[in-house]
Formats: sequence, C-alpha cells, structure tokens
Amino acid sequence: MKKHIVLSESEKKELRRKQIYKVLPVVSIVLLIALWLFASSFGNAQFPSPIATWDRLLELLRKPIKNLSLWGHILISLQRVFTALLLSWVIGVSFGIVLGWSKKCNALFGPIFTAFRAVPPLAWIPLITIWFGTGEGSKVLIVFIGALMPVVVNTQAGMSNVNKLYLDVGTIFNANSRQMLFQIAIPSALDAIFAGIRTSASAGWMVVLAAEMLGAKAGVGFLITRGMDSGDQALVLLSMICIGIVGAILAIVTQIAEGVICPWTRKRSN
Amino acid sequence: MDKKKVKLRLENISQSYVVNNKVFDAVSDISLDVYDNEFLVILGPGHCGKSVLLNIIGGLEKSVEGNTYLDGEKLVGSDKRIGMVFQKLALMPWKTVMGNVEFGLQMAGVNKDIRRETAQKYIDLVGLKGFEKSYPNQLSGGMKQRVGIARAYTNNPEILVMDEPFGQLDAQTRYSMEEEVQRIWQQEKRTVIFVTNNIEEAVYLGDRIVLLSECPATVKEIYDIDLPRPRDTIDPKFLSIRKEISENTDLAL
Repeated sequence: MKKHIVLSESEKKELRRKQIYKVLPVVSIVLLIALWLFASSFGNAQFPSPIATWDRLLELLRKPIKNLSLWGHILISLQRVFTALLLSWVIGVSFGIVLGWSKKCNALFGPIFTAFRAVPPLAWIPLITIWFGTGEGSKVLIVFIGALMPVVVNTQAGMSNVNKLYLDVGTIFNANSRQMLFQIAIPSALDAIFAGIRTSASAGWMVVLAAEMLGAKAGVGFLITRGMDSGDQALVLLSMICIGIVGAILAIVTQIAEGVICPWTRKRSN
Repeated sequence: MDKKKVKLRLENISQSYVVNNKVFDAVSDISLDVYDNEFLVILGPGHCGKSVLLNIIGGLEKSVEGNTYLDGEKLVGSDKRIGMVFQKLALMPWKTVMGNVEFGLQMAGVNKDIRRETAQKYIDLVGLKGFEKSYPNQLSGGMKQRVGIARAYTNNPEILVMDEPFGQLDAQTRYSMEEEVQRIWQQEKRTVIFVTNNIEEAVYLGDRIVLLSECPATVKEIYDIDLPRPRDTIDPKFLSIRKEISENTDLAL
C-alpha cells in the first residue's frame, strides 16, 4: 500500500516535470509580449506597441511597398540566400574535403584561407560594389562569401579528424584510396559537414539582410531601411520579427534535412 | 599432432615505438606457428604487445624486425585472406547492419546481389536476422560485436583475428558471446587468433593458449588445452588449467 503511494507520488512528479517543458516556452513568449506592451506604453509611441505592429502587418499585406507584399520581400531575400547557399555548399564542401584530406593542399591553401576567413563578409561590400555594382549578383556574392567560411571550416575539420579506427577497417578490407575517401572519410565527416551547412544557413540569412540594408530595392533588409528612412518604427520592428521567424524556420528545416540525409545522427538522440 | 599444417608463421617479430624521445619495446622477438583451423588464444596481461601483434598480422602496422608468413608466403601489408574483429567494434555508424557486414565485399567490388546474399548468411549465423536495417547505435554492445564478427566472416578470410572482442561487454553478455563465437567457429571452421586478457575466456575458447609476458611481450609459455567442447567452466580439469595459467601470469600494474 505504501509502495503504491510512493509510486503514484513519483509519477505525479514526473508528469508535473514533463508539463513544465510545455508551459515554459509559452511563459517566455507571454512575458516577452507583456514586457513589450509595458515598454511601448511609455513615451508617446517611441516604441511601437504589439497592436501597432500587428496593424502595420495588416496594412503591409493590403498596401505593398514597391509592388511587393511582405511575402514578396521575404521571398526575394530567401532567393538570394538560397542561390548563394547552394553555391557555397557545393564549392565549400568540395574545397573543405580537399583541404582536410590532402595534407599538401592544406599546406598550400590553408594559411591563405585562414587569413581570408578572418575578414568579415561585410568588409567585402565596398569592393564588390565598386567591381560589380549593386545588382543581384553582388548581393549573392556577399552572401556566398559569408556562407562559404563555416562550410569550409567544418568540412575541413571533419575530414582531417576521421577516426583512425574506420580507416583501419578500410585497410583490413583492402579498400583503395578512392574507397577510403568516398566510403569512409566523407560519410564519417557528414556530421561535421552538416554542422557547417547549418551555420552557413544562419550566417547567410544574416549577411543577406545586411547586404540589403546597404542598398536594395526589395527584400526584408530593404524594408528595414525603408522603415528607418520614413520613421516607420512599426515597419522596422515588424521586419525584425519576420527575420527572426524566418531564421528560426531555416534552422529547423536544415535540422530536418540532416535527419533525412543522415538518419544515424537522428537516431542517436533517442 | 603431426598432421597439423602451419597456416601462419611469425618469425622473430619485434616492435618498438618512440614515446617522449625514449624507445619503448612493445613486442620482443616473438616466434610462433599458428596451425590450420585451430583456435589460438593469445593471453597477456595489461595493455602490452597483444594488439600490436594482431595489428602486425593484419597489416595495420609494420614490425621493426621479423617477418610473417601465410602458407609459407611472406606477408606485406594487409592481406585479404586475413579478417579482423576489432576491440573497439569499429562499426561505421552511417551504415546499417547490412551495410557494415557487406562492407568488405563492397570494397572488393562484388556485385550487390551476391554480397547481400553472403552478408545475409552471416547475419543469420550470428543471430541478427531482422536487424539488417538497424543502425549500430540502435544495437546493444553484444549485438554490435556480432555485427563485427559477421563483417569479418563475410569476407571469407582464411584467418580470423579477434582483438579482445568482448572486453567492453558486461560479464553476462560476455559469457553468451563466448558460447556464440565457439558455436560459429565450429560451424564455419577457420583459423582463429583470439586475443584476450581474461584467463577463463582463454581456457574456454582456446585449442592452444599462448601466454605472453609483461612488457615487452615475449612468449612465456604455450598451453595445449585438450578439454572437450563446449567446455564446462567449473569442471575440475578446467579449473586446474585455469589456476596453472593464472599462477604463471605476470601481474599487470
């Protein structure tokens, strides 16, 4: 009898503990909105309230800016990011594999790359603007530079840290060097490569907004500058919220993609 | 006794490493004949020499001195007639059980249908039927090592080298895996070289036991075990052999 009580007590505790994980995120969002309401209630709308921001959203959906709705702007930004990301993944993963696998190539390109990578992608904006103007290509190029670094760095790390045990298995089974690379080294580095891809997606999303803020006729970054220029704080805040939400969705999507492409990493967490 | 054919011959094998600018001898002048289809156990204390010896046989390391001969022919590098079961499992986490087991044949360029069929045979033999599509991290320790054994067998090696394969398993699983290895060996006769630091495991499995000394490893004694299989671990004869070997073993510090 006593045992039963103890058990049900611990079960209750367990249930309560599990519930709190569902409640906590809601609490934080409610708190944030409360804080936002509180902050915006001071100083004559120096800070737009949640209601004002919501109204601005509805207005933006009704009245497009530069013939583009909010979705249109988000889509344009995403288009730039994805073009650049795709390029950076293909080139970055290949380059990272070469750097990580071949000691000679690493000695040859490593130092240059290390210096190159220390330069923030935004520092390229002036030169790129002078060379290529302010067109689509320049923005994609800036995002590409920003997204390339994490992909190369992570891929290289993964490729140069292949567990010797796996390579031993290859030796025992007489794998040739092509099989060692494609059947052992690259698959074992996929975790690291995906870490790079995830970082590059968020880095790319940040860089595109910065690039757009410095001169664009569409995109979420452009919305922010437009809001700033016209003193439309609600538009700025609304754009920021959109950036946050889209960024979070991007992170989730890349995580899901990793689970689909590398199912063994997904099952590890269970 | 005279009918025994020498399968693998180790001749004056020595191996040393340079550690912190000092020469460290791991193996010193080991000569050894391994007979065809025998279950040879290499028993040694501590962490000295045993794995090194296997790595030399498997072609993962080159010895400083001495030669290895397989069927009278000098071995250079890794030979596909020698298969290995690794102490640290070394299953590839990105491959399923089937993917891991068929790996050797895939490297050899065997076509998919044939290698699947062969792999399936050994997956069934080690008792993993139904787990072909599982990933290693979904399996228990004992199951993982079964995959390692099936992988080595699938490549149809003439010599199977096992490097403390059950060192990381709990006692219960270890006993049942020892039985399994014996069953598999009796069903699919191969020359097995099995390394362990567990005396009971050695006496349970070995036709012969090669007792190594503490660092640098040398052959201290070779025991012929004539007990019938499967062996009874509490049989007085078993226990007396166990005691004899135990008293002759160097203490590992």
